[in-house]
Amino acid sequence: MATLQQQIADKFLTRLAESKEISAEKIEKLKLALSANKKPKAEDYIKIFSEPDHGELK
Amino acid sequence: MIKLESVHIEEVRGIKSLDLDFHQSTFAISGPNGSGKSGVIDAIEFALTGQISRLMGRGTKGLSVAEHGPHVDKVKFPDASFVRVKVLLTDLGKSVTITRKLKAPAKPVVEPTDAKIQSALAEVAAHPEVALSRREILRFILVEPAKRSEEIQTILKLDDIGQVRGALNGAQNKLLTAHKTAIAQVKSNRDSLLVHLQLPSLKAEVVLAAVNQRRELLGLAVLTELTSDTKLDDGLTTAATGEAFNKQSVLRDLKSASDAVHGAKDAAKVECAEILLDIEKLKVDPELLAAVQRRTFIEKGLQLVDGPECPLCDHAWKSEAMLRAHLDAKLAKSKEAQKIQSALMANAGVVSQSALRIASIVANMQRLGTALLGTELSQSLTKWKADLDSLRSGLSSVEGIIGSRARLEAGWPSVPAVMAKQLDAMTKKINAMPDQTSTVDAQTFLTTAQLRLADYREAMRKEKASEIAAAAAKLAYDAYCHALETELNTLYDEVQKDFSKFYRLVNDDDEAGFTAKLTPDEGSLGLDVNFYDRGLFPPAAYHSEGHQDGMGVCLYLALMKRLFGKRFTLALLDDVVMSVDSGHRYQFCKLLKTEFPETQFIITTHDRLWAEQMKSAGLVTGKTSVAFHSWTIDSGPMVESNVEIWQEIDKALAKGNVEAAAGALRRHLEFVSTHLADQLGATVSFRADAGYELGDLLPAVLRRTKELYGKAAESAQSWGNTSAKTVCASRKDSLAALNGAAGVEQWAVNKAVHYNQWANFGKKDFAPVVTAFKSLVTHFQCDACQGFLYVSPRGRPETLRCPCSIVNMNLASKPKAT
Repeated sequence: MATLQQQIADKFLTRLAESKEISAEKIEKLKLALSANKKPKAEDYIKIFSEPDHGELK
Repeated sequence: MIKLESVHIEEVRGIKSLDLDFHQSTFAISGPNGSGKSGVIDAIEFALTGQISRLMGRGTKGLSVAEHGPHVDKVKFPDASFVRVKVLLTDLGKSVTITRKLKAPAKPVVEPTDAKIQSALAEVAAHPEVALSRREILRFILVEPAKRSEEIQTILKLDDIGQVRGALNGAQNKLLTAHKTAIAQVKSNRDSLLVHLQLPSLKAEVVLAAVNQRRELLGLAVLTELTSDTKLDDGLTTAATGEAFNKQSVLRDLKSASDAVHGAKDAAKVECAEILLDIEKLKVDPELLAAVQRRTFIEKGLQLVDGPECPLCDHAWKSEAMLRAHLDAKLAKSKEAQKIQSALMANAGVVSQSALRIASIVANMQRLGTALLGTELSQSLTKWKADLDSLRSGLSSVEGIIGSRARLEAGWPSVPAVMAKQLDAMTKKINAMPDQTSTVDAQTFLTTAQLRLADYREAMRKEKASEIAAAAAKLAYDAYCHALETELNTLYDEVQKDFSKFYRLVNDDDEAGFTAKLTPDEGSLGLDVNFYDRGLFPPAAYHSEGHQDGMGVCLYLALMKRLFGKRFTLALLDDVVMSVDSGHRYQFCKLLKTEFPETQFIITTHDRLWAEQMKSAGLVTGKTSVAFHSWTIDSGPMVESNVEIWQEIDKALAKGNVEAAAGALRRHLEFVSTHLADQLGATVSFRADAGYELGDLLPAVLRRTKELYGKAAESAQSWGNTSAKTVCASRKDSLAALNGAAGVEQWAVNKAVHYNQWANFGKKDFAPVVTAFKSLVTHFQCDACQGFLYVSPRGRPETLRCPCSIVNMNLASKPKAT
């Protein structure tokens, strides 16, 4: 059985994917961050949201 | 998850040395208070998690596993204290042995081991809630909603989810602040460019007209469009510029700086005043100030939490989740402080942006260089810029804002006293310079314009990036909160359904319509329960304490089911079943058996009768239960079993200690008689004080058994079952013979004899008494399962049987034909 945390994470990522306002690359990074076995930090998410997507002009 | 196979406990808590074999099955440990039952639970919990709940958390200040986990005689030799538990890892299908010393709780020795086993055991260690003591169950029921929310969030590991939400919220807030700063920077750079170009707007055609006018004068190609990579000074070589500044532009910058200096006193005046008012409020209300400071402190503390130890005082909490929940609850309580904190931060943001605008103007001046500005003005500008940057840094936190009070009162821009004079002097100096030739003017106009355009473009690029990042962070935060809310609502709905169902199962005779409602609301979780269809009320409103206890157990089970699902394979219930009142114990056993068939419960109870009822209900067997009859500091728990009680009596007799043997026999007979009277439905003269004695119980049990054998014989006769009839007759005869041999009437009825005088017997006199009573007691037990006989169903019995059904006598006669 999926844990509650996992269920919430799955629903969260699905909702983001459906919104199409956040790139698949960022969603994948968020997925990795959520499954990482460490405490979530605001800085980790700031980095994900602030980084230009691969191939995008900097 | 896991199931327990066996445990060896050595010098832990009140236990000297003890081995128990759990057979991966539900197991009951009974014994009077202080007999060492909870020590077994402590030891198992320690072996699995490295923690002992009773030594941690609230009300345990000064206690620790390291100091108070070992047996009191081994405190100075903690190396001798350890627990070895053999467990089956159900997910992996492997058995492993965990040996954990009190000296090194974080370093268990696991054999065999590999990465998968370590991972499985780490999961177990992360769930100390598998152990539940009686004092803990009420934390679900008799607590304020906010506290209940904490407790339930802790048990469901919602804290992990809260951390993700908190981090996403932190990211959202920081990116929003960064975006606001980026917008302010764009405005500042745009103003700087406009001032230089002397234009009212940055429309491309207007800018191109101003720029091309200079370019034509210099013989440079006219720019036809203004794209993102257009250079306004394209074609102009550095050498051609000669002078590094544009006189008119510098004069305009000087004017901007002078305007900023003169207008500084009115910049963000309203916001500054509001900040000072709020600070004054805090000054006159020390409690509010303390609350605000605590909020800041707690917010910072929450960031530093990295384990169950408080980052400030090192107090060890039961878990990191408990510590976090405690801090979150403190934050939630200070609403007024939160309001003032928000107002301070918002107003300080406006002041900070004004400071940024002035700092940008100062930065433009600094670009002119010391050679032109002179050392004094240059130093003043550098100092002022650093001062404004420092102010902005301070305004980013509540502590910093409060600490900036004097600065805000004195006028936050804190313009250097000599600045106005120095700017005037510089303006005069520049004005006194000969006018630049039109060529130089055009050249420096273009170079400066390009510099400022580049700054403006960079600021816009950053602003765009920060806008995208802030929008993404907001979207993610909102999406996470939505997913969280949806899942939690589903969760609470399922928990309340299971809770109600479990409670109804246990109380099906009088509360078959029981329902409950969990109401989550901003960090609190209300619980209301139906009271006999009169409406929903808090649990403590009308229900008895016994019922409230039962609710606690049911809610715990509902939460564990939701937390682990089919992986809920082990729970340590320390005297928790006492919470179920005597009338509903069989239903409770049924609940555990039917709703949690895959779960191994290790159940302790100080009620031996209850322990026997668990056997009758088939929850445990003789093999999967043990009774402690007493405890000493030197021996630890003294195990009593159907086999060992007689060994203990024999041992005492062998030593000539008739007093000890008589005491053990009397204790055992009292217990067996009470149990059998209950199990068989014997008729005993009622006593209001419930102080039934052996003389009240044993004869009644014998009469009842004789009566039941008679009924069974009649039944066998009616069905034409000759062999069953023979068995009944045989048992009846056997009972009569054993009764006579034991002299029940003589020993049990005579109160004077009962209370005494066996102890004064000689060894040879007493041995036959023991033998007779042993035979009599054994008569009521099944040879195979060792369980005592009982009737089923209670009230209107249809069979007389043992738990394993090898003894199973029909009591219902064949209906007569009409």
